[in-house]
Amino acid sequence: MNCQTLKEIQSGLLTSKMTAEQLVAQYLKEISNTEELNIYVQVFEEEAIEKAKALDEKIKSQPNNLGKLFGAVVSIKDVICIQGKPVTAGSKILEGFESLYAATAIERLEKEDAIIIGTVNCDEFGMGSSNENSIYGATKNPIDPSKIPGGSSGASAASVAAGTCLISLGSDTGGSVRQPAAFCGVVGMKPTYGRVSRHGLLAYASSFDQIGILSKSVEAVAATLEVIAGADEFDSTVSTLPVPDFSKTEPSDKKYKVAYFKNALKHKGIQPAIKSSIDSVLEKLKIDDHSVEGIDFSLMDFVIPTYYVLTTAEASTNLSRYDGIRYGHRSSEAKTLEEVYKKSRTEGFGTEVKRRIILGTFVLSSGYYDAYFSKAQKLRRLISEEIESIFEKYDFIIMPTTPDFPWNIGEKMDDPVSVYLSDIFTVLANLAGIPAISIPIKSEGELPIGIQVMASKFKEKELMDFSEIIIKKDLNEQS
Amino acid sequence: MSKYETIIGLEIHVQLSTKSKAFASDDVKFGGAPNTQTGVISLAHPGTLPKLNKKQLEYAIRLGLAIDSKINPKNYFDRKNYNYPDLPKGYQITQDKEPICIGGEIPIYVKGEWKKIRIHHIHIEEDAGKSIHDQNPNFSLVDLNRAGTPLLEIVTEPDLRSADEVEALMGGMRQLARYLDISDGNMQEGSLRCDVNISIRPFGQEEFGNRCEVKNLNSMKFARKAIQYEVNRQIKLTESGGEVQQQTLNFDPATGKTSTLRTKENANDYRYFPDPDLPPVVVNKEILEKQKAKLPVLPWEAFEVFSKKYQLSDDKAIQLISEKSTAEFSLNLMEKGNSNKAISNLIIQKLKPWSQENSCSISELPISENQLLDFIELIDNQLVSNSIAYERLFPLLLENPKTPVKELAERNDLIQSSDTGELEKLIDEIIAQNQGKVKAYQNGKKGLLGFFMGQLMRASKGQADPKVANKLMIEKLG
Repeated sequence: MNCQTLKEIQSGLLTSKMTAEQLVAQYLKEISNTEELNIYVQVFEEEAIEKAKALDEKIKSQPNNLGKLFGAVVSIKDVICIQGKPVTAGSKILEGFESLYAATAIERLEKEDAIIIGTVNCDEFGMGSSNENSIYGATKNPIDPSKIPGGSSGASAASVAAGTCLISLGSDTGGSVRQPAAFCGVVGMKPTYGRVSRHGLLAYASSFDQIGILSKSVEAVAATLEVIAGADEFDSTVSTLPVPDFSKTEPSDKKYKVAYFKNALKHKGIQPAIKSSIDSVLEKLKIDDHSVEGIDFSLMDFVIPTYYVLTTAEASTNLSRYDGIRYGHRSSEAKTLEEVYKKSRTEGFGTEVKRRIILGTFVLSSGYYDAYFSKAQKLRRLISEEIESIFEKYDFIIMPTTPDFPWNIGEKMDDPVSVYLSDIFTVLANLAGIPAISIPIKSEGELPIGIQVMASKFKEKELMDFSEIIIKKDLNEQS
Repeated sequence: MSKYETIIGLEIHVQLSTKSKAFASDDVKFGGAPNTQTGVISLAHPGTLPKLNKKQLEYAIRLGLAIDSKINPKNYFDRKNYNYPDLPKGYQITQDKEPICIGGEIPIYVKGEWKKIRIHHIHIEEDAGKSIHDQNPNFSLVDLNRAGTPLLEIVTEPDLRSADEVEALMGGMRQLARYLDISDGNMQEGSLRCDVNISIRPFGQEEFGNRCEVKNLNSMKFARKAIQYEVNRQIKLTESGGEVQQQTLNFDPATGKTSTLRTKENANDYRYFPDPDLPPVVVNKEILEKQKAKLPVLPWEAFEVFSKKYQLSDDKAIQLISEKSTAEFSLNLMEKGNSNKAISNLIIQKLKPWSQENSCSISELPISENQLLDFIELIDNQLVSNSIAYERLFPLLLENPKTPVKELAERNDLIQSSDTGELEKLIDEIIAQNQGKVKAYQNGKKGLLGFFMGQLMRASKGQADPKVANKLMIEKLG
């Protein structure tokens, strides 16, 4: 029983080759086998088994009434609210906090018979690219435990790669789903901004945050997106566009127009092995009669600064609510109101979160607002416009997901700027609000490589169909 | 007379009477047990998002249309960042750069005249909770029932010149909010409060002096005291060669004094920026038309009709516009009736007191319009005297609203007599009984006529037609 797609699992369950209870037991065993990777914050062992038993009953008694995600066992990044369960964003500031409500995405998963097996580690409030910035300590990469799994949804990617669940929900503000997917060798998708409700997702940067999906197959990602996407009365920024049947893939021999950024592939920080893997995929696409053209993206150098000015600005005020007054950590040392704020927040937040709150407060402060925040907003608009104009001519943009391979745990803890710079290829999709996916491609070495495909807003269906083409091509030519 | 002119501008906060909060579905009610009208959004629990209450937008537009503001077609919401325990999110959602209503003016009635107060803008925002510092010796308490309550902030130009004008504007604002059905405008419950910006300048000088802002005045009594104290302080300071510093002040009702909250130098940096959780809200024609259709007659418009068209005194017109229901009721009745004075008297002397006693709207009066018009006609045609009509017929009518009013008067023997034979007999009797006073009258003490008429009315049990009786009495007295 080593099912990697939802279809395999569902047919296994329907044909009684296995039971949901056995499936959950298998995942729980994997969770305990991989404990040293430090993936899970909590495991809902008993509840998952109970739900599996109930599902087995339902498969027998109402086989025509099964939810779209029956048999899907899901891990949840510790930034998404599950009713009655602790949610801490990997932070001491939310020590002991339990959510009183469920995120819209969670409600929709459960309604379609998915089983939530536990919550997984992450960088504190989604701020980080290595999953080392967490009160629970670093999560290790299942492929090489000396390496980071990426971040901030590092443990989400690790939970899938380690076979402890089929699907994981993460969140992606600047690459937090795609980069760990690339580092752990799984599929990671960030939908269009506004495709999935953010209700119940702990905010990092509101105009960038999107719940993302990780799994080993595009098919499972598509099925999950179909369930969690769509209008929601609790989120004013969510799109009311109808949600297509993402899970219905039609094999097509359509020829696509693909662009890649020449300056991205010539980027000085890019690992030669990554570049050559991407080049080889592009070649294979050309051979298959897709049009592949190298173009210049003129604003590449502004992508990282624009991203960090705007996300830290939003984060600095989004995190104001964690003040030690109503819930979460309150310093036992504090005697005055000012001390409650200062000491609770000083003790409660980690270094990286503090760094970003301070930076964000600075760029919004009077006298600096125009120099930083306003300019970054203008740049964001220009970047979006340039991206949109590219999609007038091309169906997809291809880039590496990351310029480098996962680094050693602890290696870059004192060098935040080099970590920020490694987000170079992923933040673009969040700045422009477009959907993007990272797909594992064949790597010469032991560490995985991810290729990133971006599409125009709300074109997730096309994006996932094309992803399947790339995976097929990549595997076929290699074998 | 002071040689300084007082210059005042207000920032008025009106709490809207929506059922739920500005950006959440939690209830809005006054007086619930502390922290019972909250939910995960009002409490700013992790992962919660705001969603604009459409009613708040509609109410803001209605107010803007009433005072001739320009309505902003695209509305952005901003975060005003500061930390306080009664502000759960650590920021207030407000409108910083693009308020919903721009410009406009509110007419106020002060010292017998109308004056127009220009409005700078009106913006939408949410209220904070309440911090309570005097109930526990060791702790401050926080009640978040009010947190997130929809507010409109109305910012005036510095057009006010006295505490009287401030009071007139606050009263006018309360009246207008109630006319528009957007707030109860109750100052005691905090539905209406204001920050007062005060400066002084020598009469004749154009340039404004430095202004001081007194925060959060929730009663007119305190507002008056604060203004008086602050004007005196500024004059004294200026007279002694000092200069007024721009600052924000607190008013202490116990001492009647203001004290510095913050100066210009240590002003808060609120780091306003557009709230990324709330996309811009577009006000289209449809929304505007819907709100235009909801505009009632406005107090100053009704005043104009009462005073110009119906020729009532300003004093009566002011009384008739106090509540929207009274104004609308009066306009309607005057449109149908003939005697505006009689109608206004009836409304002011009988119907308003009735609605106050029963704490209900005048429109809930059980007597039909036609009955009221017939009632007035009885008076006008001198079939029932004014005093009998008010004191005896009206209570009967209230109890028997369906009985035709004339029948009611006849049945109760209230139709006044104009039979001169009967009257002459009564007058003769009175003259016979009061020979001394008759002499005095004849010797020039004409004021005694009132006495004789009083006697006559009593003798006739009020049924004598006053005009006829008056004429007869003068004749008889010689």
